[in-house]
Amino acid sequence: MARESSFNKKSRIVLIIVLGLFSIGQLFPLVWLVDFSLCKSGDVYGANILKIPNPPQFINYYLAWRDGKIPQYFINSIIVNIVSVLLVVLFSLMMGYAFVRMEWKWSNKVLTYVLLGLMIPIHATLLPNFVIFRQLNMLDSYFALIIPYVAFSLPQAVFLMTGFIGSIPRALEESAIIDGCGIFRILFQIILPLSKPALVTVTVTTFLNTWNEFIMAATYLTSDKFRTLPFSVYNFAGQYASNYAVQFAVMTIVALPSLIVYIALNEQVTKGVTLGAVKG
Amino acid sequence: MSKKALKVVVSIVVIAALIVSVFGLIQGNLTASASTKKTVKIKFLSNLPDRTSNQGKLEQMLIDSYMKANPNVKIEVEALQDEPYKQKFKVYVATNQMPDIFMVWGQPSFFLPVMKAGYAAEIKLDQIKGYGFKTSSLKDFMYNGKLYGLPRNTDFMVLYYNKGLFNKYKVKVPTTFNELLNAAKVFRKNGIAPIAINGKDKWILAILYQELVVKEGGDQKLIYDAISKKSVAKNQILLKAAKDLVNLVNVGGFQDAFVAADYGAANNLFAQEKAAMYYMGSWEVGMATNPNFSESFKKNVDVTYFPTITGGKGKKTDILAWHGGGYAVSASSKVKNEAMKLLLYMMHPTRWAKIGWQQGLVVPGQSWDKFMTGKETVLQKKLTQIFSSATSVSGTVWQDAFTPNFKTEAETLCQMLVAKAITPEKFLAKIEELAKLEVK
Repeated sequence: MARESSFNKKSRIVLIIVLGLFSIGQLFPLVWLVDFSLCKSGDVYGANILKIPNPPQFINYYLAWRDGKIPQYFINSIIVNIVSVLLVVLFSLMMGYAFVRMEWKWSNKVLTYVLLGLMIPIHATLLPNFVIFRQLNMLDSYFALIIPYVAFSLPQAVFLMTGFIGSIPRALEESAIIDGCGIFRILFQIILPLSKPALVTVTVTTFLNTWNEFIMAATYLTSDKFRTLPFSVYNFAGQYASNYAVQFAVMTIVALPSLIVYIALNEQVTKGVTLGAVKG
Repeated sequence: MSKKALKVVVSIVVIAALIVSVFGLIQGNLTASASTKKTVKIKFLSNLPDRTSNQGKLEQMLIDSYMKANPNVKIEVEALQDEPYKQKFKVYVATNQMPDIFMVWGQPSFFLPVMKAGYAAEIKLDQIKGYGFKTSSLKDFMYNGKLYGLPRNTDFMVLYYNKGLFNKYKVKVPTTFNELLNAAKVFRKNGIAPIAINGKDKWILAILYQELVVKEGGDQKLIYDAISKKSVAKNQILLKAAKDLVNLVNVGGFQDAFVAADYGAANNLFAQEKAAMYYMGSWEVGMATNPNFSESFKKNVDVTYFPTITGGKGKKTDILAWHGGGYAVSASSKVKNEAMKLLLYMMHPTRWAKIGWQQGLVVPGQSWDKFMTGKETVLQKKLTQIFSSATSVSGTVWQDAFTPNFKTEAETLCQMLVAKAITPEKFLAKIEELAKLEVK
């Protein structure tokens, strides 16, 4: 007994050390980002891994805010992201329910078809989508981003939702039907509250993917009006020289919302992933 | 309660849809009202996303002043950084939606296919009379004797160095390759990186190789001819130059891990006075005034010719110079005349060349001597002197003179050579193989 507890103690210490190192490794890039966002651009590459900014260049944040057009791009990002996330959540919930609980002829085949989307690389779709959007006169609008964002997020979201809804006991729905519930009430009043962990996971993954997306935005947008946040970084990149410090400041600002979303919903995400993965 | 939740969900979705459609309507209205007023809209595709400094600032300044002078013209700039730029350019080409005026690299590996396919509008030579373009500077913007674009800048390779470090360790600024090797050894011993170079970017290595070929052979055409004739492997001068390059690597001439250093890394190493020299082009003229660099560095930065080679036929005044970026007007543009006017306005010698030079932003593609004010920085003065004393210039560098594929492969081979993954002999054999495949 005594030996076992000393072993436990030792293994605990090892565990703490390993986890400690791991968290340092995970947190270091963030510290590094903030550190260099306060330095001068010429200081970024040097022998020191971290550098004490002397004096701290808060002007970098001002420049990022003004020349990076952060307020304007931020509003665009918010609009595109909120609409995309809402649509993905709504569609994945409804589709998940339809695939798992409802019986119809092509159910399995359609599910496979939707999940095939997981395998399609974004770059292969850029050109055809550009042509389609142009013909629909939709280039350079919020829709030109929202539609592909939703389309690319749906397969994964549906995958998560089908797994999760499958784990909800059928008895709940059966009793609801006995009480006279229609299909929409079942979906929104019973399934929706129960799938909260999965929906949060879908929200976070969709948000993180679309928040940082650049290549589709660069292709489908032509004017400045609808550009999203990742463009701010490029506003400080020249042909030969880039203003690195201000880019770091931009990235710090851009990273904040995703960090906040992740911290706020962290627990739910872990729950959602595991519950979705292990059925019943 | 649960009914409430349903209502909330539905109303959020409806509101979101409304917001989006309102924005869509606003946008639609804007374009509609613009067309009724008969304003001319010019789409401008640029590779300079930074509109507040350097060339991007100059470009935006000229565009703004053009719009001020012509209130009926609205210029929409789309600026993307090099790689996204190339990607977007491909999309525009593939969908036949070229912007009215766009940036081009005046290199056969980029611009020749564009000209051949007829995407660029012809610029008549008498339209640019008195603009100060030398015929040689327009060579790569011409196809079949017709001109399709105008270059922005003069780019040429030089050796920047840090006066302070050379004085401190009592090293003579190298004028021959052997002196360069010796200087490298001294700086190595004292823990200073001799030459900062961005080996990760590859193109710089290919250019340095050409520099050595010119200094060995004294003939600017040699490397192009050898590749066109596909007789590379047995050329003694090409071999000697490849050996020189490996030699420079062997004495530790570049910073540690230079193969992994990108542009910013090499530039910052030099600017932080941790490297004595920096092999780069004239476009770094702004280093002397960059507010991000220390006063001590700005006081010490200086520039010179790349050294000659003892026994080589090349003179120090045989330099690598070309005209990189420039502008072209789309042949299928609906506002072609307006776009052409804008191009000619921007490139008028009193604008791009004069303003750019006097603000220390660029080394112009047109002759700039008449715009000298006497207030130039040391770098500006010395660069002017180096360029005006040139006895021969290369034109488009070798890796850009053929196909896009040739460029990629040749640059990779140069990187393999300096990383000592292949011997100089093997390097030349591979270049020959490549020439046989890519050059017709």
